Amino acid sequence: MVGGSYAAVPLYRRFCQATGYGGTIQRRESVEEKIARHAKDGTVTEREIAVQFNADVADGMPWKFTPTQREVRVKPGESALAFYTAENRSSTPITGVSTYNVTPMKAAVYFNKIQCFCFEEQRLLPGEQIDMPVFFYIDPEFETDPRMDDINNIILSYTFFKVSED
Amino acid sequence: MSAGGAFGGNRGLRPVPPEKGVFPLDHLHQCDLEKKDYLNCLKSSGHQSEKCRQFSKKYLECRMEKNLMARQDMSELGFRKETETNGETSEEKNSKRIEV
Repeated sequence: MVGGSYAAVPLYRRFCQATGYGGTIQRRESVEEKIARHAKDGTVTEREIAVQFNADVADGMPWKFTPTQREVRVKPGESALAFYTAENRSSTPITGVSTYNVTPMKAAVYFNKIQCFCFEEQRLLPGEQIDMPVFFYIDPEFETDPRMDDINNIILSYTFFKVSED
Repeated sequence: MSAGGAFGGNRGLRPVPPEKGVFPLDHLHQCDLEKKDYLNCLKSSGHQSEKCRQFSKKYLECRMEKNLMARQDMSELGFRKETETNGETSEEKNSKRIEV
């Protein structure tokens, strides 16, 4: 009895840290921490997920913006690289910013972007073509979540908006 | 795209910024070769990320060399020291062949 309640304390602390219940500071585990933890645990994943890519530009944004590869097949827990290509087809420098979307929405929580080109303004000179990398990681916990059983594809969509014309 | 579709307009999850921030753009195309090698590898191996790991590693190392990415130990980004395991595997294969 005593042993049982004693063991519950560290579990409660971990739960609080992860969820922020009970007023403790919510601390999300970073991707690097996840990678280290799973490497230490020797986590093995088996399901291959096809990550596919969409690219869009908002109205009035004169860039050509496309995914550079059709798809990347990846297992949860493997960090992976993908590219988009953008080209400024106008005759003036254009600054754009992008946002992204992950579908199906229920899988989005497991999709981690380690580094990418989004959220900050990017400026392309007239005629300039550039590669935009996305370095991502699907959480291994995806594989043990029964709600994800029917998901074999994840779609990453980016949209570029025009911020200014120089 | 309608206004609701942009930042946080979707019902549900708001877009989360990337963990390590933004990749500076490679305006001078300094890592184009490494990028091409990776993409060609994907094309010829059924787009399987695992098969092209060494190329994506080379690309990111190139970025680090050209100050287009913060320097970091590659194992922290999920790239285990594969050279050792590859060496062992081919040695094992060779010894098996000899035995047979």
